[in-house]
Amino acid sequence: MRKIFFYEWKRLIWNKFFFGLLLVLLFYGWQVLTGRTLLGVSHTAPFSPWSFGDYVSRMLPLLWIGTLFFLTFFTSPKARRAAVLTDAAPMSPGRYALARCGAALAGCVLLVLACLAEAAVFYGWYFQWYAWQTLIFPALLTLLPPLVFALGSGWLLGRARPWLLYAWMLVPFLWNVLPLPEVFGLWNGAFFTEYPLTLDTPDPSFSVPAALLAVQALLLAAGAALLALKPRKASDAAEARERSRLIS
Amino acid sequence: MEMNIQNVTMTYQNGKQALKNLNLDLRSPSLVGLLGPNGAGKSTLMKLLSAALLPTSGSILVNGEPLRNAEQKLKGTLGYLPQDFGLFDELTVFQFLDYMAALKGLTDAKSAVRAVIRQVNLEEKAKARIRTLSGGQRQRVGIAQALLGNPSFLILDEPTVGLDPEERIHFRNLFSQTAQNRLVLLSTHIIEDVQSVCDQIVVINHGSILFAGTPEQMIQAAQGHVGVFWEEEAFRDDSLHITARINTSQGIRCRAVAEALPAYAQPEEPSLEDAYLYLISQEVPK
Repeated sequence: MRKIFFYEWKRLIWNKFFFGLLLVLLFYGWQVLTGRTLLGVSHTAPFSPWSFGDYVSRMLPLLWIGTLFFLTFFTSPKARRAAVLTDAAPMSPGRYALARCGAALAGCVLLVLACLAEAAVFYGWYFQWYAWQTLIFPALLTLLPPLVFALGSGWLLGRARPWLLYAWMLVPFLWNVLPLPEVFGLWNGAFFTEYPLTLDTPDPSFSVPAALLAVQALLLAAGAALLALKPRKASDAAEARERSRLIS
Repeated sequence: MEMNIQNVTMTYQNGKQALKNLNLDLRSPSLVGLLGPNGAGKSTLMKLLSAALLPTSGSILVNGEPLRNAEQKLKGTLGYLPQDFGLFDELTVFQFLDYMAALKGLTDAKSAVRAVIRQVNLEEKAKARIRTLSGGQRQRVGIAQALLGNPSFLILDEPTVGLDPEERIHFRNLFSQTAQNRLVLLSTHIIEDVQSVCDQIVVINHGSILFAGTPEQMIQAAQGHVGVFWEEEAFRDDSLHITARINTSQGIRCRAVAEALPAYAQPEEPSLEDAYLYLISQEVPK
């Protein structure tokens, strides 16, 4: 399984798409850091968890797209043609799916680390500020639940209809334009700009309301549950594919 | 290795009946040639035997155990080359085969991969990315992954498609050697491949088995049904199924199969191709 994970990971990151996305991510990240984070959000310091949280929430749509793009490597028509060979192998479909999802998750973690490293460079460069441990919680809280959910829901959608993955990539953009209730404030970053203003102290310490934490925990649990959904038996999946091919 | 197909029917969701009440026993060691026109049901049969499809009715037994219960066991002993397949273009030939070896759970993967690369003559391309390979080379990678781990049951669907004549002969011999202690099911349109290596032949058409036996038995069944004649002698004779036309200095010499040869036809010793065409012609409305 380790070998499958390694080869899948290599397939995902050793290609033009990954490097292109990384460049776009770093370019956009730098624009956000120097154009917005530098000034600080809601009267807080640029290196406050609030300003940093605002930065990572702005990076979320691109990271969401990247995560779903990784999944297209497993659900594209080309990948499905290779599946006739892999389905005939004795490895259980569940273990195989786990290795592949693990590779997609590792690719996604790599993109996240690139964003975080860029922020670290920014803080060191502009402010000689290196107390990064204070930023770990807002980063995890903002990124982990939606990205695990992207992986779980994307895995399910991609297996049903590959094109759904591309439609699903637009979801964070919808989050950003739709008027979401406050409790979903982490999804569009509104929490980081609006909540500190309600705390009535200048540069307040980082805190999150319980309802918001619950929403993020639910999102994480839903993502993990979708990932844990047992894949259909290879033969059933192949039959479904064969049938759909004949029908079309 | 023993596979028993019992009253298997396969109907796709669109209503197309690919196999009708099929019965067949396969036992190792044997190299079984599966012949039939396009759409006869050959690939469906192979998919059923590789557990890629489930039959609508009937059962398939693997060493006496129903395939539904023995799917993982079967896959552990199976080498499968489908007619249409994809490869991971981003990986090299060695990496892809190493990946497949991991999926097959092989312990000494590296030496198994090296061995199959040698068998399919891809040593020079072992480090080449799959996207750089020609169609024939990709087909050889497909054959290599099927041979990985010396499976005791090999299913090869049109394995020599895209290979040049020299390679075809090489692989024909390779499959023949492989079948000495295993069960190999080889589907092909190339009668010559079947004639030279298979000890058993199954002819399938419209989802039913027309013949199952040895090549000699198949040829015997066509005795007295193959003849040659001059083309002008057979003017508008619909009872003949012409299989070859040869231009000679005296005119066009035809070879044909028929249920009853006309008086002007001179009987000939049937070849396996004649025997196959005779079987098929009996089904096709003239």
